Amino acid sequence: MPGLSDKFKNAATGRLNLAPETRLALTLMASIFSLIFSDGISLGILAAASAVYLVLEVRPKATIIVYIAFTVMATVAMISLKLLGLFMAAMKGQPLYAALFPFIRMSITLNTILPLAFNARLSDLASTMGRLKIPGLIRLPLIITVRFIPTFFNDLTQLREAVAIRFRRRGGFFFWLNNPVIAWRVFFMPLVVRLIRSADELAIAAELKGLSASTDFGDGRLMLKQADRVALSLATIGISLASIFGNLYA
Amino acid sequence: MSSERSIKSRLSALLDGRGFFKTHELVTIGLFAAGSRAATLTLALLGGGMNPLTMIIRSAVHSALLLVLLAKVPKTGVMTMAALVGGLLAFFLMGQGMVTLPAVVIATILVELLVKALGGLERRRSLGLLAVILSELFTRIFNVGFSYLAFREQPAMVIMVVVISAFSYLGILLGLIGGVKMVRELRHAGLIG
Repeated sequence: MPGLSDKFKNAATGRLNLAPETRLALTLMASIFSLIFSDGISLGILAAASAVYLVLEVRPKATIIVYIAFTVMATVAMISLKLLGLFMAAMKGQPLYAALFPFIRMSITLNTILPLAFNARLSDLASTMGRLKIPGLIRLPLIITVRFIPTFFNDLTQLREAVAIRFRRRGGFFFWLNNPVIAWRVFFMPLVVRLIRSADELAIAAELKGLSASTDFGDGRLMLKQADRVALSLATIGISLASIFGNLYA
Repeated sequence: MSSERSIKSRLSALLDGRGFFKTHELVTIGLFAAGSRAATLTLALLGGGMNPLTMIIRSAVHSALLLVLLAKVPKTGVMTMAALVGGLLAFFLMGQGMVTLPAVVIATILVELLVKALGGLERRRSLGLLAVILSELFTRIFNVGFSYLAFREQPAMVIMVVVISAFSYLGILLGLIGGVKMVRELRHAGLIG
């Protein structure tokens, strides 16, 4: 049914038609409830539900790459824990499946963070904050931040080029590491000076434009579409089921 | 009734920033938060996220920038704003630190109250150093507490988090040494008051 799938999935991007607020709410729910639950069934249901969300939202290639990295990290952690267990008495006598719980919690959080990280745009930030009624005191610095990040990366590039001209080589990570004094004098100090300069310039520009913390940036209303409502109710149902089943078999 | 209204209007005036923070102060806070985030992100991309060396350098950059910010805008509430803005930036873009952000903000507010009781940043500028040392320490204690909640089945992983936090706190202290020098130089150059 093309009509139905259009409503829930954006054909051009291949992602769900969710508002940024819904993604934030899902991430918040996942991270809070993965901390609360401490039995295998509840955590398993939560992990399965978050995996479905991940598959629907993020391209398979990115998912696979992130999960390979996560598995490598988890394996290394497990091996080092086993090695620690040889020496530490506190580690013995635990069931094997309980040792997996921290990794399940991490993967639940990861499942909900990835859609947010892949779909968040800096340009949406201002309007999202407006809809969430975040006070101007906090919104003004954040909006300035959005405006400033490209300038900052431009500054970084220019400083690196200046170093390349002076020392006849590109400054990689190990170049800085071997020459901390040069890194300090030629890179970090000018960077801070530029930061202060741009702070002064942008502040003057903002004041001339009449921007202040009490400026009305135009608050939109929070409009939840059908996809948002379905996603949030499914998440609520999933969490209730997880807590009910977890208590039944505990 | 009238006093209730005045409290309400005063609170809304504070949230709107009328009178308390001036525009240029807010802009400076935002820029330093952005600079700190972007610098740590770049370092993580250059050196890989989780090795101890990168972590030390990242924390050093963060604390040096925070110290310079406190010297540039010596005012009660600046550190809380910096923590809040930096945290919200990470929160909206990457979903990071959702559970820990409120705890971090509360810790920072406590430190600010302490600094205020000792005379306030406005009068005694050297208190900025103490403020950074204490707030970063409290932040790390909260982080270890939350990781205990997440990893309660495996106490050994909490020890790992403690080791990681200790490394990054070492970075914070190293960064403060550089930061004090930097503040002195910037003051000499007339870039900060």
